[in-house]
Amino acid sequence: MGSILEIRELSIVFSTVIGNVYAVNKSSFNLNNNETLALVGETGCGKSVIANSIMRLLPQNAKVSGKIMYKGQDILKMSEKEIEKIRQQEISIVFQNPSMSLNPLQKIGDQISEPLLIHKKMNKKDAFNKSIDLLRTMGFQNPSKTAKMYPHQLSGGMNQRVLLAISMTLNPSIIIADEPTKGLDNILITDMIEEFKTLKRANESSLLIITHDLSVARELSDRIAIMYSGDILEISETESFFNNPLHPYSKILLDSLPERGFNPPKGTSPSMVNIPKGCKFHPRCPYVKKECTEKVPSITSHNGRQVRCYLFL
Amino acid sequence: MLPISVIVDNISKSYKYGIFTKNEDLILSDVSLEIIKGKTVGLVGPSGVGKTTLAKIIIGLERPTKGGILVNNSNIWNMPKDERLKTLRTIQMVFQDSQGSLNPKKTIEQSLYETAKLIGIQKTDRKSFILEHLEKVGLSSDIFCRYPHQISGGQNQRVALARILLVDPEYILLDEPTSALDIAVQAQILALLKNLQKEMKFGYLLISHNTPLIKHMSDNIVALKEGSVVFKGPPKKYCQITTME
Repeated sequence: MGSILEIRELSIVFSTVIGNVYAVNKSSFNLNNNETLALVGETGCGKSVIANSIMRLLPQNAKVSGKIMYKGQDILKMSEKEIEKIRQQEISIVFQNPSMSLNPLQKIGDQISEPLLIHKKMNKKDAFNKSIDLLRTMGFQNPSKTAKMYPHQLSGGMNQRVLLAISMTLNPSIIIADEPTKGLDNILITDMIEEFKTLKRANESSLLIITHDLSVARELSDRIAIMYSGDILEISETESFFNNPLHPYSKILLDSLPERGFNPPKGTSPSMVNIPKGCKFHPRCPYVKKECTEKVPSITSHNGRQVRCYLFL
Repeated sequence: MLPISVIVDNISKSYKYGIFTKNEDLILSDVSLEIIKGKTVGLVGPSGVGKTTLAKIIIGLERPTKGGILVNNSNIWNMPKDERLKTLRTIQMVFQDSQGSLNPKKTIEQSLYETAKLIGIQKTDRKSFILEHLEKVGLSSDIFCRYPHQISGGQNQRVALARILLVDPEYILLDEPTSALDIAVQAQILALLKNLQKEMKFGYLLISHNTPLIKHMSDNIVALKEGSVVFKGPPKKYCQITTME
């Protein structure tokens, strides 16, 4: 399976009044064709920063180094005009908080047809009809009625489906979903998982799902990448990750799941400004060794899986 | 003698709507449950079923249309106002959005200081009093000069808990206390809640959508559907409300 997106040694630092915030540190991963990859980690570990860097949507105080290769081209070196073509047409992003991502003053149908009018130069009527088709694909019973409604007339889950419909309008090769289930209750999360499965069936896109919810990652992804405080600690096939997590952090993360009895980990994630020396997880790690406190371990292959830990070097 | 508890006694709540019509929406109908010291009651039900309304009735923010709230065997709505407010101080509530329940323009120290002042702690003793309670929830004085937006969701939830502990409650209502938190932080807050209960014998009413969480935490579960109680019993016998249709 070939890679459609390759992220190589990506580092992102924000310069702020309280000092440099090291959001992402030399992270590398691939997104394969027609694959769903889940990027999982605690709030504030840098997942959304990676998503925004792929779309080149970071604020001006961000210093980005490394490479983001899309179909052989480095996104970080593209001109503004080139990246505009990539956004939405090639790579689309669904942001968290669906109700805030839609324009409250525009009808649903108009919001879905907008990219078709701009990028595909369709006429208004065709674009509107296409948006009705997309709404039908996303499971709306009466799509022509929904197309004439405003976002406030729909529930949070329905708005999320509208956003997914918008992300599909131009048949992008990659869809990035940033915390698609944040703030939704359990019933809506189950719905959302079904909708992503529908989207996968309807569209041959690769999906990058960014989430802190392990159950969502398990349901949807083929592979899973675990992130902690700006570092990628483990990349595995989803099933083998849940059966046998390698990194000590992955283990404590799985132990805090309901089915494993909510075992609480000790300590908290480190600050992104005063980062600990060596492996960032070492202050909380039950297997900490001297070398862990001195140098960041490099990421290595272990039985076809990748892990960043001295236990596997 | 009855155990020390909060009894929700056949509570019904309806809201009138319309200016000229006398239409009523019945939100809760004959709901009864009991929160006993040292035990946890889990309250489950789909969105909009009236779980939070019931919690508001228990802490006295809403008056029930019918029925009563008995705190240690006396109905709060039959008490004189002063006594009612004093009694209600023993019941506190933790909200889902902990950051939203702290004043964004005040540092953590100022927010907690205000509560300590309100309950009549001497000025000279306030700082040590607050620190003592912060330690109970696993925080230190490092957090004093921070604002709510500068600390994490888990820390905010701990501060909200510390603020409640200042008032020395007997019962705590927890409205989705961990739904906005990461899985590892959620496990930490649940362990903290359990430890506090063991140490201080709090009676909890835990509201949540999360079935495994409710089963893990509760001694007894009450399930609501369309405003009425459809299940009451131990976690072992509880099957998810959706399968009961």
